[in-house]
Amino acid sequence: MLPKIGTGATFEGVLANESRQSREPDRALVERMAGGDERALGELYDRHGEMAYSLALAVARERADAEEIVADAFGQVWRNAASYDPGRGSVAGWLATITRTRALDLVRARGRRTRAIERASQTDSDGLASPMGAAADQPDRRVERGEARRLVARSLGELPEPQRRVIELAYFGGLSQSEIAAELQEPLGTVKTRMRAGMEKLRGSLAPLLSGGGA
Amino acid sequence: MTDHQWSELAAPYVLGALPPDERERFAAHLAECAACRGEVQALREVAVLLPDAAPVATPPTGLRDRILREARQVRPIGHGRAPIVPWLAAAASLVLAVGLGYMYVHERGTVQRVNAVLAERDSLIATVFSPDVVTAALSATGKPPSARLFWNQARRRVVMAVFQLPPAPAGRTYQLWAIAQGKKPVSLGVFNTAADGRLTAAMDVPPGLTFELTAVTEEPAGGSPQPTQQPFLIGKVAPAD
Repeated sequence: MLPKIGTGATFEGVLANESRQSREPDRALVERMAGGDERALGELYDRHGEMAYSLALAVARERADAEEIVADAFGQVWRNAASYDPGRGSVAGWLATITRTRALDLVRARGRRTRAIERASQTDSDGLASPMGAAADQPDRRVERGEARRLVARSLGELPEPQRRVIELAYFGGLSQSEIAAELQEPLGTVKTRMRAGMEKLRGSLAPLLSGGGA
Repeated sequence: MTDHQWSELAAPYVLGALPPDERERFAAHLAECAACRGEVQALREVAVLLPDAAPVATPPTGLRDRILREARQVRPIGHGRAPIVPWLAAAASLVLAVGLGYMYVHERGTVQRVNAVLAERDSLIATVFSPDVVTAALSATGKPPSARLFWNQARRRVVMAVFQLPPAPAGRTYQLWAIAQGKKPVSLGVFNTAADGRLTAAMDVPPGLTFELTAVTEEPAGGSPQPTQQPFLIGKVAPAD
């Protein structure tokens, strides 16, 4: 049945709304995957494949490596679907954790530095957050997701640069606090303070997306 | 350490930025401190949003197909019952599964799905029951866990049945290696067991690869290019008897 388009509503908006209402939760997809349903895996990829690939590329830099990483990560989610525990976080978070771990392992195995570390060593760089204008321009039919992504990118971009940098080096670069201190030639205590302050600020600005806050 | 100092570790903990010893101490503290657990939970929600800050990149067009293709090759199958002779039970459970598959058709009528399951199991059975299949019994010291491997050289496939192996911890996976004398181990794939400690899975063998030994290691999630741990299961390849 075709959705009725009221005045002022765009076709895309109606479609997005429609799909939002009828959409199975990610959790249900993982349950179907545990039962061997490949279409559920395809659907999960359609929802989160771009996030996983972008994350893998942000860490590993090489497109071919990012492809390997994402294929491995989805393979692992597929094989371990039965062991997914919703109590431990969202499916997207689970996939992101697997993707990040795999990406950092691969970069280390190759004896390379991650993109985040490379960028941090260029002092005039705006880090990973800078090309986020590009994210905002990206056409995205999944409206809700596009908005969440823009908020995250903007929030990280609005952090004071030194705070943003330590968070990026930890998350996308896989560095420990003392490795970050060495990389930036800053005292360890300074790195610790910046990381904590930056994460607290993000927690405030991302409140609408967190379980404790907002709609 | 005061409570205040502990809670300062929550941010680096969720970002994976603590050295291993500090991470373990903090994890132990978390078991006892509800306040820190709450802090970690809240900050973890922030951390899992960070991938959204990565510059958007469009995955290559073939990646979706590749993921689905690979899912068809290595897939966890169901759980059987407690084995008497593990590998015989594995073979028996494959046959049983076919029977159950037909019952499912009658009951639910979801023919397409069952056909896919049957095709998968037919392929497993064909791989296992073939004249040129060689096998390997993998064990540590004769004690559990154990695994049985069937290698169909013509089809370049192995079927592995694993028993009494607890699922790998979070962020870790098991990896199966094929080892030829004097050469580096070659990965045949990664796997994990179900909650009941069992798995039957098929994996492809790279063209031209021959091997005399197989081994299983525990590796970081996603597997490793080369083993990073000592294998806990090893088995020599022997012709089927």
